[in-house]
Amino acid sequence: MMQLVLMELFKISRQRQTYYAVGAVLVLEGFILMSAFYQGREILEVLLENLRESFEFQGDLMNGNLVIYLVLNSFWFHMPLILMIVVSGFLTVEYKDRTVEATLLQPVSRGGLIVSKYLAALVFTGAILVLLAGSTFGVSYAFFGRGDLVVFLDGLSFFEHPEAIRRLLYAFITGSNTMMFYAVTSLTLAVIFKEATVTWIVAAIFLIINTLLLRLDMDSVFYDYFFLPKLTDSWQYLFYSEIPWGVILKKNLVLWGYTLGTAALGAMIFVKRDVK
Amino acid sequence: MIVAAREICKSYGTRAVLRGVSLSCLKGEIAGLIGPNGAGKTTLFRILLGLVSRDSGQLVVHSQSAKPLGGIIEKPALYNYLSAYDNLRVFSRIQGLDFGRKAYEGLMERVGLAPGRKDPVRNYSMGMKQRLGLAVALLNSPECVILDEPFSGLDPIGIRSLQDRIRTLAREQDMAILLSSHNLAELGGLCDTLSVINHGEIVRHGPASEVFGKAVGGYLLYGTGLQHSRLLKALGAEVGSTAAMLTLNGREISDVLRELSAEQGVNVTACIPQTNLYALFEKEIP
Repeated sequence: MMQLVLMELFKISRQRQTYYAVGAVLVLEGFILMSAFYQGREILEVLLENLRESFEFQGDLMNGNLVIYLVLNSFWFHMPLILMIVVSGFLTVEYKDRTVEATLLQPVSRGGLIVSKYLAALVFTGAILVLLAGSTFGVSYAFFGRGDLVVFLDGLSFFEHPEAIRRLLYAFITGSNTMMFYAVTSLTLAVIFKEATVTWIVAAIFLIINTLLLRLDMDSVFYDYFFLPKLTDSWQYLFYSEIPWGVILKKNLVLWGYTLGTAALGAMIFVKRDVK
Repeated sequence: MIVAAREICKSYGTRAVLRGVSLSCLKGEIAGLIGPNGAGKTTLFRILLGLVSRDSGQLVVHSQSAKPLGGIIEKPALYNYLSAYDNLRVFSRIQGLDFGRKAYEGLMERVGLAPGRKDPVRNYSMGMKQRLGLAVALLNSPECVILDEPFSGLDPIGIRSLQDRIRTLAREQDMAILLSSHNLAELGGLCDTLSVINHGEIVRHGPASEVFGKAVGGYLLYGTGLQHSRLLKALGAEVGSTAAMLTLNGREISDVLRELSAEQGVNVTACIPQTNLYALFEKEIP
């Protein structure tokens, strides 16, 4: 299994589209950083208009931490889209070139092959997120400096710089669970549809519907904890004044349940279906 | 016997693709499968290679090898963005083989490719890809290689070269080779046995010379003085200035050629059998 995963990663590292994806992620990040900087100024003006006279803030509130927070808000639609396109390509390209067939002509189990693809997709997603987090933190602090983080969620909350870093890091880690889910889903869609364009369209529709349903509130515990779209933004809880760790943990466990279930469905179809 | 398929049936929906097909191949034997497009050749090979499930029937593989069967279905499938070395490395490692420079060079020599090229295989000609595909099929030393339409897309020199490679694998390395084509000329001189498949059924099977012989409907003769031959006239041949199309009507070609060489002023320089594919693909009445 280790060799299968390593060879999957080797192929990913040698494919041109991998580097297009990394380039796209970095370009997108640059745009989001710029817009976050300008958006941040406007938000701060509105939020702090009256508070400035009553409170003293440490440093410029339009700082790297706020930029990272705003970037995080923008990431979770664009990044899954790029990821889903690239990750599904790991399999659709192999269907098109018939290298899946060539691989299965070797003494390799179908289950082993598809599991290695899922694992490689997770490693790739993790690597992209590390790159993204590293570059976002690096660029934000380098250009916009450090200071307290102000956010408005369950109320206006202020976090000192060390606390802000901690929460932002946890937010990246929690958000990565959502990314992993989308990566696995896109690979399962590739197993089902085989063809790249169809897979991309279905993946994009899936993502759009998920994002739209995320805004729908039903005031139901079942809906909040088991309805898929409601599980994909638990990173936001990390910016409540008191972090509801229990809620975050439960939502992420259910999300991982969905992730594993989706992977199991893809693996089952891949193993059972004829290669023709 | 290395591999045998017995009474294999396969349907897609209501369409029966294979109806009780049996086929086998011995060690060191080249077994050909010929049939028109859509006859069921590729489906049968996919079933033999475990890519497609069968509805009924039995597959028997007598081999202790970790990889009893190697194969290429239709065109060789390679990672076009990788070099030949990296392709073979990937296909080796996934099956747990140690793959180094020495193994690479040995394998490339075996299929007649120069090991020096480092560019992606997308730049390779069809013939080179076919040989590299054969190298992938030969990884892990299978005892039988299944090649589906291996000559498709190759020029005549490429076909000849691949035929030589296949012959070497069977004769010198004692491998069982099962190959298919819809072109009798490609299989004629290469195979020991020949099976003819049509509409998902084996309609003929036997030694290649016998099956091939039954498909010969006539001969195209080239030479000089053919238009003056009394024998050709008597046999009702269509005679031109340099060629004659001859239907034997029960006579042996060797007798005809002997008699023609005895005729004064007649010189036969080439004799090319003309196959009647309709007759070949028709079911033989036992």
